[in-house]
Amino acid sequence: MSAGQIYDLGYKRYVGSRRSVGTRWTVIMRHQVASSWKTWWRFKIWLVAAALATAVASGVLLLASDKIIKMFVGMSGKAMRIADGLLSLSPAWDCKIGFIVSLTIGARVIAGDVQTGAFTFYFARSLRPRDYVIGKLVGLIVMMSLVMLGGPLVLAAVRLGLSESQAELIALLPVVPKSLAIGVLGTLIYAVVPLGFSALITNRSYAVALWAAYYLLIGHVALGLAFVTHPVVAALDLPTALGAVARDLFDVHLNSFVKLDIPISAALISIFAHVAAAIGLMFWRVRHAQQTGVGGAS
Amino acid sequence: MTALIELDRLAKRYGEITALDHVTAVVDGNIIGLLGPNGAGKSTLLKALLGLIPYEGRARVLGLDCAAQGAEIRDRVGYMPEQEAFLAGMSAVELCTYAGELSGLPRNEAMQRAHAALYYAGLEEKRYQPIESYSTGMKQRVKLAQALVHDPEILFLDEPTNGLDPRSREDMLDLIVELPVRRNCAIVLSTHLLPDVERVCDHAVIMHRGGLRFSGTIDELRGARGRDSELQVEVKADAPRLADALTTAGASCRVTSPVALQVDLPAHATSQLVFQTARAAGLQVRELAVRRESVEAGFLRVLGEPMPEAVPAMMAIPPGGGVPSFPGGGAR
Repeated sequence: MSAGQIYDLGYKRYVGSRRSVGTRWTVIMRHQVASSWKTWWRFKIWLVAAALATAVASGVLLLASDKIIKMFVGMSGKAMRIADGLLSLSPAWDCKIGFIVSLTIGARVIAGDVQTGAFTFYFARSLRPRDYVIGKLVGLIVMMSLVMLGGPLVLAAVRLGLSESQAELIALLPVVPKSLAIGVLGTLIYAVVPLGFSALITNRSYAVALWAAYYLLIGHVALGLAFVTHPVVAALDLPTALGAVARDLFDVHLNSFVKLDIPISAALISIFAHVAAAIGLMFWRVRHAQQTGVGGAS
Repeated sequence: MTALIELDRLAKRYGEITALDHVTAVVDGNIIGLLGPNGAGKSTLLKALLGLIPYEGRARVLGLDCAAQGAEIRDRVGYMPEQEAFLAGMSAVELCTYAGELSGLPRNEAMQRAHAALYYAGLEEKRYQPIESYSTGMKQRVKLAQALVHDPEILFLDEPTNGLDPRSREDMLDLIVELPVRRNCAIVLSTHLLPDVERVCDHAVIMHRGGLRFSGTIDELRGARGRDSELQVEVKADAPRLADALTTAGASCRVTSPVALQVDLPAHATSQLVFQTARAAGLQVRELAVRRESVEAGFLRVLGEPMPEAVPAMMAIPPGGGVPSFPGGGAR
């Protein structure tokens, strides 16, 4: 009796219902979340770092909310209290952590799948390119939102908790959707754009390097050019664009020596253009992989 | 009854290159060998059958239209790729469970069937180890298990014995032979290793330059053009004398030893001619058999290529496990 016969005695063909094709992206999403969560250095440690940063910011809010911070001025031109200005500052540290997480789990996904032949594995089954793209995107968005969305929402909750009256609480309620908006934009930037970069190259290390180079070099070049040309150019730097949106939403202006007043429209256009280009790149790569992956490349 | 695969003037072009040239065939059987040199159109045919590429003409798998019902087909078909197709950082059981879920099985069912498929493939002890740590043979087994996990009705196996040592190759072929019986699924085996085809397949489809050159049983491929007029005759003694007598009766003969000869009968003659001629000449026929070619000889004949001198008519696996392949088939 062969191994197959020994171990296959109880075999019966599966006759139950199957998950519909339209919902199979959720399987890919769940796998993306699980694989991101698997090792401590890819995500967990950075989530702890984001939680620590939020805890410190919350502590500052609680302990020094009435202190004046000269770095910010409000619409009236007067220096602001920490309680009113700190929320707009959250992208400053969230973006750094978001960038690191994008390097560890985001920018390697599609390139890694191309490298390991995973597209053959996926598309020999009844999956469509959009199932793969949506599954990977939503999985990364879920993970990144813990970093980029959690902090601003916690700070908004702390700020509401500092209200001295019901009237002030009601007046402060808009900080919640504003924080949510900043978190959502940050999540899109650090989940979608690196995924787009991972679709550009078929080697996961090079894809990570390309994303890092674009983020750090192009961003800084854009900032430098903005000082000598027009502030709008600085919107190409994604963290600068997100910071500009945050300050605009919270009516805060930088009171620093060098000013870069980026219009919110330019910042939003830059962010959404990056996101749209990344999604386009993903579909292009995945569609191509679907047709060439199975049965060789002829 | 629905045929496994039905092709009706199936055509596919990539720019100037004709990958499939109006292929028409009805393919059935338990284990079907899909043969052809590189560039013959095998990969394109597989992609078309899985509903992954647009094409002209009609193609049906299990009665389903490949162009319109690709997703349904892929739920009922398993595919074992030639190249590595794994996901980084996963164990075999995780990969197979994931494969089952992606094919629509509920999570618990997928997990149970992943274990069963890995047991079947002989990976029961190593199934929790990362696939990166596996040997080539174990990786081939994982590829087979992930193709089986969702209970396919047809398995497309692309070069399943590539890179395997002789013992692993034998094990893999044993598993393949058992599949139609144990799992009630048909197999399409795309390979350039003709001994593998000879060993496990009952049907063959041969493609060349995008066209279909042969579709039928292995016996038909090995048989002399589908007729029983080419005979191998063994006599007690004096084969040359029988050859002379048969030549006089209109046959063409080739004496291969003092007691053996090959006979091509004239049109409308039967093997009775050999017996009658031998009796008349006072010779005793010890054995008479229809002459069969090896699969390779049949393959080369179908392709219209001459039989290489170095390759024996009956194929044998050389010592050490190296396996002969057809010209142009081993360069991938």
